[in-house]
Order: sequence, then C-alpha cells, then structure tokens
Amino acid sequence: MTDAAVTMSMEFHPQPTAGEARPWAFPAPERGALPNGLTVLRCHRPGQQVVAVEISLAAPLEAEPEGLDGVATIMARALSEGTDKHSAEEFAAELERCGATLDAHADHPGVRVSLEVPVSRLRKALGLLADALRAPLFSDSEVGRLVTNRLDEIPHEQANPARRAAKQLSKELFPATSRMSRPRQGTEETVGRIDAKGVRAFYDAHVRPATATAVIVGDLTGVDVDALLAETLGDWTGDTSEPRPVPPVTADDTGRVVIVDRPGAVQTQLLIGRVGPDRHDRVWPAQVLGTYCLGGTLTSRLDRVLREEKGYTYGVRAFAQVLRSDPNGTGASMLAISGSVDTESTGPALDDLWKVLRTLAAEGLTDAERETAVQNLVGVAPLKYETAASVADTLADQVEQHLPDDFQARLYERLAETGTVESTAAVVSAFPGDRLVTVLVGDASVIREPVEALNIGEVKVVTG
Amino acid sequence: MPMGHTATAQAGSGGLTATEHRLANGLRVVLSEDHLTPVAAVCLWYDVGSRHEVKGRTGLAHLFEHLMFQGSKQVKGNGHFELVQGAGGSLNGTTSFERTNYFETMPTHQLELALWLEADRMGSLLSSLDDEGMENQRDVVKNERRQRYDNVPYGTAFERLTALSYPEGHPYHHTPIGSMADLDAATLDDARQFFRTYYAPNNAVLSVVGDIDPEQTLAWVEKYFGSIPGHDGKQPPRDGSLPDTIGGQLREEIHEDVPARALMAAYRLPQDGTREADAADLALTVLGGGESSRLHNRLVRHDRTAVAAGFGLLRLAGAPSLGWLDVKTSGGVEVPQIEAAVDEELARFAADGPTAEEMERAQAQLEREWLDRLGTVAGRADELCRYAVLFGDPQLALTAVQRVLDVTADEVREVAAARLRPDNRAVLVYEPTTADDEDAADEITDEHEGADK
Repeated sequence: MTDAAVTMSMEFHPQPTAGEARPWAFPAPERGALPNGLTVLRCHRPGQQVVAVEISLAAPLEAEPEGLDGVATIMARALSEGTDKHSAEEFAAELERCGATLDAHADHPGVRVSLEVPVSRLRKALGLLADALRAPLFSDSEVGRLVTNRLDEIPHEQANPARRAAKQLSKELFPATSRMSRPRQGTEETVGRIDAKGVRAFYDAHVRPATATAVIVGDLTGVDVDALLAETLGDWTGDTSEPRPVPPVTADDTGRVVIVDRPGAVQTQLLIGRVGPDRHDRVWPAQVLGTYCLGGTLTSRLDRVLREEKGYTYGVRAFAQVLRSDPNGTGASMLAISGSVDTESTGPALDDLWKVLRTLAAEGLTDAERETAVQNLVGVAPLKYETAASVADTLADQVEQHLPDDFQARLYERLAETGTVESTAAVVSAFPGDRLVTVLVGDASVIREPVEALNIGEVKVVTG
Repeated sequence: MPMGHTATAQAGSGGLTATEHRLANGLRVVLSEDHLTPVAAVCLWYDVGSRHEVKGRTGLAHLFEHLMFQGSKQVKGNGHFELVQGAGGSLNGTTSFERTNYFETMPTHQLELALWLEADRMGSLLSSLDDEGMENQRDVVKNERRQRYDNVPYGTAFERLTALSYPEGHPYHHTPIGSMADLDAATLDDARQFFRTYYAPNNAVLSVVGDIDPEQTLAWVEKYFGSIPGHDGKQPPRDGSLPDTIGGQLREEIHEDVPARALMAAYRLPQDGTREADAADLALTVLGGGESSRLHNRLVRHDRTAVAAGFGLLRLAGAPSLGWLDVKTSGGVEVPQIEAAVDEELARFAADGPTAEEMERAQAQLEREWLDRLGTVAGRADELCRYAVLFGDPQLALTAVQRVLDVTADEVREVAAARLRPDNRAVLVYEPTTADDEDAADEITDEHEGADK
C-alpha cells in the first residue's frame, strides 16, 4: 500500500476541544499529635492499596560532629539493622514478609525514613518501623559492616559523571566551613572514623518523637488509625529539646568553570548552578514557571535548541532543589541546569546555552510560553499525586521546610495568578549568565580550549 | 467494534475490570473504568521491537520511536509534546525487544486530544517525516546511547550479556539501543519502510484506563482511528526459541576503567506467560531480591565480600527470559571467591528449595510490586496492553498477582534445579584497569572482541 493511499483513505478531523475540567485539589492532611509529642499528618486516598508512611527526624547534616560527616547516613541505615526484638537479618525478613520496603536517608534538613506497605499488612509493618525508631540495636558488628559498605560505595559515586559533578558544584559554591560544601554521605576519611558509639551518640542527641513527624497516606478505609498509631509509634518515648538554630547559607557564584578531567570520555556532563531562594520566598511560583519555560521539558527553550535543533544532547533540564529552610521563613535552594552533551559538541552546546540565557534576559518570556507552563504544571498535579507515596513525600517535604500543610494546594492557585512579566523576572534573576558556576566532567584535553573561548569565566581543571 | 465483554471482576483481580473491543480495521481496544482521580491514561502498543530488526539496522525500532514525536499530518514539529503538556498531560514512548509503546496520561477532560494525536501519527506519520527530523533524532539517539551506556561504568554490561546469551543471528542478540554504526547507517527510506511494515491498526493495541465514559471513549476511538486502513505487510518475527538450557557456560572478561570488580551473569529461564516463569521469578526473589535474600545475607552480611548483590528477571515472551545476577565486589575481594559462594547458594537452593517463610516473603514482595503497577492508571493501561499484545488476552493482567500466589515451593525448587546452574549461564567478569595498564587492556579487548564473533 502506498503512502498516498493511506493518507487519502484516512479521514482527518479537526483537533478536538477540551471537555469540562473536573475539579481536583491537592489533598489536605489532618494534623494531630500523639501523647509522646510525635506530630502526625494523615491523609485518606481512596483506592491506594499501598500505604506510604514518611517519618521526618530533626537530625540535620550540620548537626553531625566535626570530622564525622556521614554519621547521619550510617545512623539512618542502621535503624533497620536490628532492634530490641529482632536481629538485623530477622528484621529485614519480617519487613519483607509484609511485602514492605523501608528506606532511610540523611539530607541537609534531616533524616527521612520511608515505609511502603500494602494496607492489609500495615499494622505489622508500622510495628517494625516503631521498633526501628524506638529501640535500634546499633551493634558494633552491623555498624562496622555499614561503614565498610559505605566506603565501598564511594568509588562508584566518584565514577558516575552526574554524581561527580554534583559533588564538585557543592564544593565550589559553599565555603569549606559549611556542611553543604561537603558530600552528604561523607568522605572516605570521615566515614572511616564512624563507629557504633558515634552512631548511638548522634541518635541520642537528635532522634526523639517530640521533634519528629509521621505522615501516613493511603486507602485507610476500615483502618483504626488512632489505635494503630497508639500501639506502634505511640510506644516511642523521649525527652524534649530546643530547636537547633539553622545556619545561614552563603555561596560564591562568581562566574567560573571547573573541568573535572575524564580523559577519553565520550560525553561531557554539565552542571551549571548557583544558590537561590527557597519555597518561602514570594518569588517561588514565578521562579517555578520561569524555570519550566527555560528547561522544564523537551519543548522548553534549552531543549528546543540543544536537543531538537542541534542534537547535542538527549536532554538538558533546569530546576530548583530546596537545600534547607528555617522556621522563620528563610532558606536556600540549588538552582541548576544539568545534562550531558557529546564531547565534540561541548563548546558549541555551552555557547548555545548562554545564547538562550541572554535572549531570555533581553526579550523575556512570551505569554504563550507562560500559559503553557501554567497549564502543564497545574494540569499534571492529579497524575503526579496519584500514588500515596507521592503525596506523603510532598507533605513530609513541607514539614521539613517549615511550610504550612496547604502550601502545595495554594501553590497551584498562585501559579495560575502569576503573570509573564513576573515569571521572566524570576527566571532571569535565577540564572544570570555572569553568576553561574559551571562544572564539566569530561575530557579536558578536548574541551578546555573551546570552553575558554566562550568567556563564561575562568577555567580550572581538576582531577579525581 | 462489537464484541464488548461484560465488565465483571474476576477472582484475584482486586476488583479491577476491563472490556475488549475490535475496530473493523483490526485495532484492538481495551477499556478500564476507574473514577477515583480525574485522569485518564492512553496507551498504545505496537507489536514491533528490536527483535524485528535486521542485520545492519539495529536500533531502528527505537530511532523510529523518536521520529513518532517529530510531527504528523495535522501536528506540526514538536506538537505531540506541546499539545499534551499544554493540556496538563504527560507523555512518552519506549522501545524494548518485543514492542514499542506510546502513552499519554491526561486530565479526564483532555482525553479526546490524546486519542486524536495518536490516531494522527498512526495514520499519517509519513506525510511529515523528513531528512531534518531524521538527522536531528539520529544525533539525539546517539547521545542517548552515550549518556545511558557508553559514558557510565558497567554501562555496556547489558548489551554484552545479551549478546552472549542469545547467539549471533538470534532476534534478541542485540539490544534496542542498537550500535553506533547501525544508527549512522539508517536512512529515511529505512524509516519509511519500517512505518509501512509495522505501524498499522491491526498491529496495535490501544488501552484507555481511568475516569472515562466507555461508550463515549469508544465512539472517539472509532471516529479518529476507524478510517486508518489496516494492512498485512508485517512478517512474523524470526523464531526466538532456543533449547531450555545453554548446555555450557559462556564467559567474557572485561578489563575496563570501572570502580570495582564485578560478577554479572544471565541465566536462561522459561518464557514469560508460563507458570514456570512465575516460579522462576519467585526463585530469583528468594535468592536475590531485597535485603533478606539468600545472596544478600551471604555476600553482603556474612562474608562481607560484596557491596551489593541481587537478582532480577527480564521477562520475555518470544525467547527465553533472563535471570540477571549483579554483584559488585567489596574492597580487594577477587571474583572467584564470590562466584564460589554464589554457586554454593544456588546449589543448596536447587537441592532444598525455599522455606515456607521465604515463599511467603517472596510472594508478598511480588504482590506489592503488582499493586504498585496496577495502582496508577498509566501502569494499568500498560499492563493491559502487554497481556493483549504478547499473550492475546488483556484480562490476564488483572489476575497476574493470583498466578504468582498460586505457585508452590516445589515448583520454585524445580525451576531452580533445572535452570539456575553454572552450565546454563553467560558470565561477565569486570576487572578494573588504571591508566598504567592500558597495554594490557588493549590485549584483552582484542581477545573478547574475538570471543564475541
């Protein structure tokens, strides 16, 4: 069959118009507290048979003792390596017998423990989670194993271009005295010093129900949540503590380039960033819209040129990631552009990238761009938040960042109210061409000269 | 278009239902209603994947998938992305050995747009396919290959193990990303011919899942897809069947700049869609799924010789499936020590089978994975298409959990004894090099290229 025949015989119709939108709102959690001081947010999501529980512990990375970077990470991992009721191996077995997964990780705002489990086995899994928080074993043997394991992971991260770039950017942006300048999970030197005693001391100092929050989301039909919480997380006891002051974030975003040399690399990993406002700032909705227009998707300005016109990359994205916020309503986020381009195209790709930034600053966004961004960001919300885990994660982020429980719900209204001019101003101020630190993980012998010719800042080459 | 099934929930389906329909042009349609969230997922599976590619044109199915986003008769340029995202939807496409899928998740009131877009490219892609789009997407895909495989440690392991596991000339010998040389060689005519051969309503299944009115949805499907002519240009894929076992160990040692030694292996396992495949899934879960598995306990907890150790299952319907072993060694541990421990654990398991508690754990884990898959409208739409395309019956998606729960410990032991043996695997060993021993690396490279041919 010829193309002409196919084309001629198919009946074409005009593009359909949208039907009437059904209302949807980001769910409002019910907030309460247990007698032990644990804050609880709960949210019923019909149909979501896999329940998500997020525990947020006020154990920030900057609370790690000097020279023990990584102790928060090892503590988080050690929570599930044995309790007063189960050995490490038994604990893992019991958890998996519930069909559950349990992850824990440490980041700048604190430690997060995430449980997912079918609602039919929620009671038992919540009991195990409570044991892990209430009475972790922290045995010498298990902590020693986690330390060795962590040391083994470091070379793998070092070899990964995206991870390596992130590590270098933090080092460049923040002063060496700031915890943010150093790897979240520690270095070979600091992790090597961690032992069970250090882990126990960190736990004793920073883990207690009074400064923790539990978020529980899923289809809770027929579940007596109060009784369930009382007999599990309700058994966790601890004293109270004064909130830690949050150190201010300072960063040096003098325009410059650092090449992490990878002889023979077929691609260059790009990470171009600086520090900007957090979600408390009034500019946030405008910055969300502007950043989407710059590099939120394949049809945004960066990919329209770098991918869809030039074919330099599989994709480049611009984003803002909150680092830490304090209760007084200030904080910082990492603003960045990231992606990878083939080695030979590194110079031309960066040249085009800066042209996109300059054009944006000179001409601004169009109303159509802003409209599409609003339609997408607001419209995808019901699908983005279909699962219990995605809702729980956002609620726990809000708690950690000291935001009101209706922040996300209100954000959608604020996005719709934000105009083109504000969005332009926000994104131009977020990504000024002369205040960006560029990290390139790639073959310095090939990319150094073309990058120097671009005049986007002094070029330095490092190894390792 | 008739042949609507009644939507009655089957046992073990978690209350989910689906109805099936067929248009006169051969397009199969599966609908599943769920009004909990105001979203609808559209999923379209074309029964074509890298197994249909011919020598010298590996990667064509995937490159072609990219071209499907470069516009069609009524949709200009990047319009597929622009229109869906502008309507508050999300979309993408992926290519595997056995199929190519395209999917949109839309707010309910924008469902019709997604159907119109999919129909437009199914019926008229060739009217806007041009050299410019082809050259651009060729570069994009080559950068995708570099980013995901060539520029990351162990990135080509999957490709290498697949090539070892399926002999030269076998339709699954190469992976969907294809080789750089073949990506360079693909022409616009190849792409046109590919479309004419495989992109037809009678070679596709469309599923629509979520907050839908089935009657209205079916009317839209008929309106937009109904006039696209079917055709029978497609040849069946080359036969992918192989003997149940390899009958010997295949082995390749790679000397590369990687951060640690690694032992990877692919075991030849039963084809997807069989009870034996579900039994194999359970065996791999007991042995290497999660933190309470036998290999994790042995290598990571007890021996402390590995930083990570696990098994995965690559389910395939048109060829033997693969059981995927991945162990990264700790510190200076040598591979033979790991390998001996793995073999010992597998032999013990083949002899004794899983304990009752291990069965319970593995079944609970796989059940949760299924609940996760079916818990979103997009996941459900994809599974309905999968069972319709690969096994002829979308309803099987809704009862898959029950089939996993029905498998007995004896069946798990039997499949392990028959298949998880050293003489039924392809092995890939990674030995790290440093800049100092590049000469040695060159020598070894020649050697394993020889082994490949």
